[in-house]
Amino acid sequence: MKLRRILTLVKLEMTRQVMDPLVLVFTTLLVPILILIFGLAMGDSYGWGPDYSIFEIMLPGFLVYAGLLTIYDVAAGVGGERETGIQKRINTTPLTTAEYLLSQMASYTIKPIIQLALGLGIAVAVGYRPLIFFGTTYSIGAKFAGCLLVIAFMVVFSFSSVGLGLITASFVNTSNAAGGLAFAFIVPQQIFGSFIPPAIFGMDALGWVFPSWYATDAIGMLFAGTSFYFWRLWVRFGVLLGFTIVIYIIGILLYERKKRR
Amino acid sequence: MIKSTENENSKIERINDPTNSIAIEVEKLKKHFKGKRGMEDVKAVDGISFHVEKGEVFGLLGTNGAGKTTTINILTGVLLPTEGTASVGGYNVEKEMKKIKKMISVCPQEPALYKFLSGLGNIKFFGNMYLMPKDKIIERGEELLKLLGLYDARNRLSRGYSGGMKRQLSLIISLINEPDILFLDEPTVGLDPRNRRKVWDFLKAQKDQKNTIILTTHYIEEAEALCDRVAIMDYGEIIAMGPPQELIEEHQVKNLEEVFMKITGRSILEGI
Repeated sequence: MKLRRILTLVKLEMTRQVMDPLVLVFTTLLVPILILIFGLAMGDSYGWGPDYSIFEIMLPGFLVYAGLLTIYDVAAGVGGERETGIQKRINTTPLTTAEYLLSQMASYTIKPIIQLALGLGIAVAVGYRPLIFFGTTYSIGAKFAGCLLVIAFMVVFSFSSVGLGLITASFVNTSNAAGGLAFAFIVPQQIFGSFIPPAIFGMDALGWVFPSWYATDAIGMLFAGTSFYFWRLWVRFGVLLGFTIVIYIIGILLYERKKRR
Repeated sequence: MIKSTENENSKIERINDPTNSIAIEVEKLKKHFKGKRGMEDVKAVDGISFHVEKGEVFGLLGTNGAGKTTTINILTGVLLPTEGTASVGGYNVEKEMKKIKKMISVCPQEPALYKFLSGLGNIKFFGNMYLMPKDKIIERGEELLKLLGLYDARNRLSRGYSGGMKRQLSLIISLINEPDILFLDEPTVGLDPRNRRKVWDFLKAQKDQKNTIILTTHYIEEAEALCDRVAIMDYGEIIAMGPPQELIEEHQVKNLEEVFMKITGRSILEGI
C-alpha cells in the first residue's frame, strides 16, 4: 500500500469538488443551509414535546444527513468514472483496491466533517446551545471528549456511507443511474434515522436497522448533555461500527467483482 | 476457469527469463459473455493463440466486434478469460496481474481523462499512480507534450481540448511510465489524417526504441505502416497472422484489406 497513491487520489477528489461549483454547493452547503432555514423557522416551536424545540430534535439528524449524501457523491463519482472509461484505465495501473478504498474514505469524510462544523456553527448562531459544549456543569475535558465522540460518530457513519456508495456503484455504469440508485440507500435512512426521528411517530424500532439511526441518536444524546462514559453511547458506536464493517466487506467484494469480470 | 498445470508454470518461468524473447503469449484464449434474456452466449474471443516478441509491434486487425478490445482487456487485467492461458512479460494474467500492471500501460479506445484536470495535471496523476519521481514525470511529460504538439495547451483543462487533442493526451499518458509493453486500443480512431500521420510518426519513433507494442486497429494503412506482424481477427477468431507483406504475398493481393476480403468476403471497414 502506497501513501503517495492515496494522497494523489484524495487531491484529485478535492480538485473535482472545487472545480465543479454546482457539486460543491450541493454537497457542502446544502445541509448548513437547511439548518439555517429550520433554525430560523422552528427554533421556537415545541410541537414535538415540551423539553426540546423541533429544531433541537432535528439538528443531529440534519448533521447526519450530510454523511448520508456521501452515498450519492461516491456512487455518482464512481459511476461517472466508469462511464468515461477512467475506472477501467486506473484499474490497469498498479493502484490497488485497498488504496482506492482508503482514498475514497479519506476524501469523502472530510466534507461531512466540514458540514458538521458549519452546521453546528450556524445552529449556535441562530441560538441553539448544545449542553455538551455549553453546559456549565461540564469540565473542559468532558466537553472535549464529547466533541471528539460527535466527530467519531460522524466519521464512522461517513465511512458506512462511502461503503454504501461503492455498493451502489457496483450495480451501475453511469453517474445518472448511480445517482438514482443511491437514493434507495439514502431515503430509508433519511426517513427512519435522520432529521425526523422515528420515535416521534412511535416507530423507533424501524430505525434500528439503519446506520444513520445510531449516529443521529448518539449525537442527539451527546448534544443533550449525556456523559461520554454512558454505556448506551458506546453500544450505539459498536453497532454503527459493526454495520460499517459488514457494508465494507460487501462493498469490496462487489467492487472487485465489477473491477474484473 | 484456467487451471494452471506444472507445464504452464514452467512455461511462465521460461518466459520470465531475460534471455527469452517473448513478451506476450496467448494460448487457446476464450472469452464468452453470458447471453441476456435467453439469448445465446456471445463468443467475443474464441480460442485464439499468438505470441508477441519483445520489441515487436503486433497488430490486431479486424472489424468492430471482432474481439480485438476484449483480447486487450484480458491481457491488461480488465477481464478474466473464460478459458485458455495468457501471460504478459512472463506473468500469468489471472494470477499475477499485480506484477504485470507495473510493466504495462494502456491507451484505451476512449480518451479516459479527468476533464477537470489540465493536460499536465492528467499526466502527473497517472505518473503518480506508477510512483515515478515527480521531476521525472514533469520532464518526460513535457517532452512528450512537445513531441505531439500539445505543450502550449499543457495548463489548459482537458475538458477544453478538441477530440484529437484528447486522444493525443491519452497516448502521452500511456507512455509516461515508459512501459515495457504498451497496449494501444484504436489509438488513431477519430483523428483527422494530419493528426493520424503525426501519431504514426510518433509511434514509429517508439518502435525504433524497441518498445513492445500491441495495437488494435481497423485502419489497414496503420497496420501496414506500424506493425511488424498482424493477426487478422473475425468473430473472435484469428483468421490470418504474419508480417503484413508476407500475408499480402501469400494471398496474392495488393494490401491487407484485400487479404481480409479474400478470406471473409467482406470489407474490414464494414459497419464502421
